[in-house]
Amino acid sequence: MNTLIKKEFNSIVGDSRFRDRLEDLLSYSYDAFTVESVPDLVLLPVSTAEISAILKVASEHQIPVTARGAGSSICGAPVPVNGGIVLSMTMMNRILETNTPDRYCIVQPGVINGDLQAELAKSAFFYPPDPGSMAFSTIGGNLAQNAGGPRCLKYGVTSDYVLGMEVVLASGDVIRFGSRNVKDVTGYRLSGLFCGSEGTLGVVTEITLKVVPLPEAYRTVLAVFNDLDDSAATVSDIIGAGILPAALELLDKVLINTVEDANNIGLPREAEGLLLIEVDGSEEQVEKELALIVEKVLSNNAVDIQQARTAEERDNLWQARRSLYPSMARLKPNCIVEDATVPTSKVPEMIRGIRAIIDKYKLLCGIAAHAGDGNMHPLIACDLRDHDEMERVEKAIEEIFELAMANNGTLSGEHGIGIAKRKYLSMAIDKPTLKFMHTLKQAVDPHGILNPGKAI
Amino acid sequence: MSLKPDNLIAPEVHHCSKCGACLHVCPVYLQKMEEGVSPRAKVQLTRHYAEKNLVTSSHLNSLVNHCLMCGNCTAACPSGVQHQSLFMRMRSYMATDHGEGWHLKALYHFLSHEQQLRLVSRFARLGRNHMLEQVPREFKIGKIPAKRLPKFNKQPFREQAVEKIAPEIQSRGTILYFTGCGTNYLYEQVGHALCHILKIMGFQVEIPRSQVCCGLPMFIHGNMEKAAANIKTNIKLFNRKDIVAVVTDCATCGSALHKEYGIVLEELGLATGEAEELGSKVRDIGEFILANFSLLEPHMDPCATRQKVTYHMPCHLRNGQGVTTEIEALLKRLPHVDYTRAADYDHCCGGGGTFFYDHPETSHQIVSRKIKNAIATGADTWITGCPGCSINLSGNLQESDNITVEHILLLIEQGLNKQG
Repeated sequence: MNTLIKKEFNSIVGDSRFRDRLEDLLSYSYDAFTVESVPDLVLLPVSTAEISAILKVASEHQIPVTARGAGSSICGAPVPVNGGIVLSMTMMNRILETNTPDRYCIVQPGVINGDLQAELAKSAFFYPPDPGSMAFSTIGGNLAQNAGGPRCLKYGVTSDYVLGMEVVLASGDVIRFGSRNVKDVTGYRLSGLFCGSEGTLGVVTEITLKVVPLPEAYRTVLAVFNDLDDSAATVSDIIGAGILPAALELLDKVLINTVEDANNIGLPREAEGLLLIEVDGSEEQVEKELALIVEKVLSNNAVDIQQARTAEERDNLWQARRSLYPSMARLKPNCIVEDATVPTSKVPEMIRGIRAIIDKYKLLCGIAAHAGDGNMHPLIACDLRDHDEMERVEKAIEEIFELAMANNGTLSGEHGIGIAKRKYLSMAIDKPTLKFMHTLKQAVDPHGILNPGKAI
Repeated sequence: MSLKPDNLIAPEVHHCSKCGACLHVCPVYLQKMEEGVSPRAKVQLTRHYAEKNLVTSSHLNSLVNHCLMCGNCTAACPSGVQHQSLFMRMRSYMATDHGEGWHLKALYHFLSHEQQLRLVSRFARLGRNHMLEQVPREFKIGKIPAKRLPKFNKQPFREQAVEKIAPEIQSRGTILYFTGCGTNYLYEQVGHALCHILKIMGFQVEIPRSQVCCGLPMFIHGNMEKAAANIKTNIKLFNRKDIVAVVTDCATCGSALHKEYGIVLEELGLATGEAEELGSKVRDIGEFILANFSLLEPHMDPCATRQKVTYHMPCHLRNGQGVTTEIEALLKRLPHVDYTRAADYDHCCGGGGTFFYDHPETSHQIVSRKIKNAIATGADTWITGCPGCSINLSGNLQESDNITVEHILLLIEQGLNKQG
């Protein structure tokens, strides 16, 4: 990028929010994925007007622009693979309005998901999407990846909560769609298009979100099974009985043992599967559901069952689930988490299939799943510096995707495509459909400057 | 006894999965909202330096040193990266390649030469206590007005106190007191309170005369070799088998003695066994009093004047010594205390050793938020257990702020039976 163009950008944001020294650029070359790429310039805008001005200049000179939240994506979505500009949205982090009687809030994209939860909790409300990164990831990033989380089984994912947006297009034009209304069918529902578009269609500068009241009570059950089919039968029996839990988390044998090695919390090492089941709602309702869940768990041959009624007991039961990533991540320098997703009933078959693939390639992998929605999370511990191992990891991941597709599944349940899964897209999307997506992209970003090389 | 260059290409650099879990716990990142000063970026920059993608520069130096060394990142890291060891090493390389500020050189010199430290403290006392009226009113160190800095003790505390203080009743054993430079040169009243309280609780207090600075201000800036001499002296004096505990009234010294001596010696390739033995005996004074509260309780005056109190948790207490809930629990057991927790009671004060001097703007923004939240509790006393935090919190208060920063030992002493 030549000096004259840099000067144009500098005149928009000023010296204090303009970075072009290598030491600074390197800090924006990564997310939590393995691939890195150094941008030519980092800008830290604070307003829609600045972003509009930046995109006008970038369009004129056809410079790639990649918006970035906290950089906690695990598929490379904010990595500037073609260089150009990284737009760091972290300084646009104000909660502009919370209106719980009307059930919405308006935020800037850099607001941390966890900070929004804390603010809403003051009025006994919450925003349901709860990705594992919620304590540090941004709403803008969550939106770009259409993030999910454990409780999305009951409540739905990010796109189910976006009422409206302000977006700066590649041309610099600013568009606004949706409204503060929970019901709104005026015009195309563009929020569905922008959620999960990974910054390839526009830069989101303001988001109106639907919020819901916090449940009054929780009940949590931890159940242990010696046969994966029993755990799957439990899941379908619970849902079949008309209970939609707020979480249905499954850990396989390797994870149970890895968590137990690291934390010594008394998990049964012989077990094939551990289910963490949580319901939320009114006191009366959760107590009734708890009894029903216990009945279903026992009738499906659970070998151990624990129940939690208080916040402290609940916290204890969640410890196994909470510590699975740290426990796996400490086994080797790196830990790759995939998120192929299959219909719920296929979960046991997927776990056994993934296990066979992992054994074939002699890898170290624990398998977790959001068992209620079939979102699989194989966690593969590895060392990026070991080229032979990484080749085997790559082959295994490809076969896991093939297995998911053979089971009517899909590539990603909640992490997004980024650069990680782009080469597998043709497994899940046929040619005419992919062409339709490219037509849309071409129409709104003719020079392809917005986050090139991602999503589609 | 020197650092090997390939130490830098250490496992922890490659263990960072770049997940971002360190971002929202880093006080500096939360203030700047810029990746470059985040713990994750510092680890990655260190990797690039080790892999020779990056050479040292004043800008890299400034990014790497834009750190309070509070340890929040290490505590939050799912992958177990030991940021502190890594940053100490990186700081040491930066200092070799890029030089150190005059104030750091002076600091290392005096902290590693106790006799000279005593001497310089006498001059400083004259300067602080007598000449201050003559310096311009706006004279500041960092953002702290000189007149809001604590006065120096007339005589170092260790020269005022007797070396062995017998218990009031039959002895429950011997406590070794590591006084730290804060109490020795600035806060003598804290040292006297500690001896008084342990004495009525039935312990014999010994204050080894030849103890020296804990060394932390040297090794966190990367000067591990200079710190090693201090570390060895202190281990020799304090690692005794015949004692109940080694107590500190300074969270920072406590974290050095409890945890970091072993880390530094390991970095230098020296044996760590004795450091670990010592570490297991070190107790923060607040933690120690809580664990033995039944010995203090009979001496508390149920009619003592009630005080509205809030608390600032030093990072070096939580992350360095694993003391998390104990001090609040102790405050709640004191009969003369009405305790209210401040919203961000466990956030760093922004002092960070010399950070408040090196990065005055960032430091001031961090401490200002703390002050606002402490005042909002309605408390008139703000308790903390670290002289570094005390200087920074108290120094940044305005004359009009109706809150006083105090060590927990002084608060306890005010609640004792008058005859006790």
